[in-house]
Amino acid sequence: MAPLQTRSMAEPDTLLTLESLSLAQGNRMVLENIDGHFEAGTITALVGANGAGKSTLVQGIMGELRPVSGRVRCEVPNARRAWLPQQLALDLTFPMSVEELVMSGCWPTHGSFERYGAAEYRRGQAVMQRLGLQAFEHRPLGELSGGQRQRALLGRTLMQEAQLLLLDEPFANVDAATVEVLIDVLRTMAAEGAAIIIVLHDHDQMTRLADRILRLDRGHGTWSTPSRAGDASSSAETLT
Amino acid sequence: MIDWLFSPLLDFGFMRRALVAGLALSLVAPPLGVFLTLRGMSLVGDAMAHAVLPGVAVGFLLAGFSLPAMSFGGLLAGLLVAGLAGSVSRLTGHREDSAIASFYLISLAAGVMLISMRGSSVDLTHVLFGSILAVNGTALWLIVSVSSLTLIVLAAIFRILVVECLDPLFLRGQGIRGGAVHGLFLGLMVLNLTAGFQTLGTLMAVGLMMLPATAARFWSKRLEGLMGLAIAIGMASSVGGLLLSYHAGLPSGPCIILLAGVIYLLSALFGRYHSVFARWRRRVQPMLPPDAHG
Repeated sequence: MAPLQTRSMAEPDTLLTLESLSLAQGNRMVLENIDGHFEAGTITALVGANGAGKSTLVQGIMGELRPVSGRVRCEVPNARRAWLPQQLALDLTFPMSVEELVMSGCWPTHGSFERYGAAEYRRGQAVMQRLGLQAFEHRPLGELSGGQRQRALLGRTLMQEAQLLLLDEPFANVDAATVEVLIDVLRTMAAEGAAIIIVLHDHDQMTRLADRILRLDRGHGTWSTPSRAGDASSSAETLT
Repeated sequence: MIDWLFSPLLDFGFMRRALVAGLALSLVAPPLGVFLTLRGMSLVGDAMAHAVLPGVAVGFLLAGFSLPAMSFGGLLAGLLVAGLAGSVSRLTGHREDSAIASFYLISLAAGVMLISMRGSSVDLTHVLFGSILAVNGTALWLIVSVSSLTLIVLAAIFRILVVECLDPLFLRGQGIRGGAVHGLFLGLMVLNLTAGFQTLGTLMAVGLMMLPATAARFWSKRLEGLMGLAIAIGMASSVGGLLLSYHAGLPSGPCIILLAGVIYLLSALFGRYHSVFARWRRRVQPMLPPDAHG
């Protein structure tokens, strides 16, 4: 699939760095001394048992949680940062169509007043085509299936031309065809220079998608590559 | 007939002022109501109206029937309650609606206490229920200014409000704290409730905000449709209510709100989406192919 947009500016290699990051939820320490860096063009899978702190780390990276110690250094401006939270965060009763949701990805760069021009709408059409959403473009969000909704949400991050993308279990409650489309689009985004961090449970998806793996266990993180994590014992604990 | 019906609006100064005041309020209050219903905060408007009331009453007690004093008092009380409720919910992690419910009750009780300490409460019915027919030049300026300001601010924060309603995490991902936008929105609401109390009364001002918005939801599934319809319903209720009030010799505030109420009831019965009739019609034609609904 041809890239939708080419990035003209030269990007720094490392887009996100974690330096001895420790995070807590309330007064319970969840993660201690997490180190790591996330480069442009790589997909990092964030794995671990339920409660291991995957969502906490995502919150920490997005600045939702203040670090107890250490820090998060992000080279990507806010407007190019996207966070695809678990689907439940979306208000499905809100009167908005698929096209409008996709187009709202322009908002971070266009602000409150700048018009969405013909070029943006053309790009929106291309994004929807790439995600197989044209048939639903005027359908309200509340009438979409889980898979269609997830495609629309990814469409918004494509419109945003996100350079740093965090996805929290994007394949939960999503049909197999959509998983294929999403994996394809994510790979293309990475090839175009985005750093992608993705919370995953499924071992098969992890080996197909990830370049690197950050496994969280009892508050600590270990880095590996998919081939090393691919043995039977580790895949069993990944599937929860 | 038409001439007889509408001529009072043009012939009398007080009716003209009342008309302009009603239309100005109808232009901005219903869109605020649409956002309130979309955020699941329909009753927060009502709570804020109660929160405004003691401030208005205290202004009245201190300065007599002075519009600036009463408006200022109402605005102060409303913003105080909204601000305190917001801070408490943020500091404690409790839901904001429970904090607002708590603070408006405190505000209401404090207001009633103050009034009872000062004695007279006779003229307060005027504050409670308003009188659109007594709108003077000052009141009109106040209302039109508030409407214009609200319209400008609403336009400025429109996209942010939409994003915040739909997906607060997307907003926070952009480094914008929802709290500031939310506070500004509550501020606009309080401002409109204080502008509306002169014409409709503190308790009924919220009616022009909520009823058109809730009625519109039976007719449109699109945000711009909801906004446009809500404004149209608000304006129709204002004009119709004024004429009804004039010709039938009834108080204007309740006429306007009751008319909006009738439109709401009719919408709930016969509206295009989710109304009783729409649901009934869907039930008797179960065999249509799914595409035919498109």
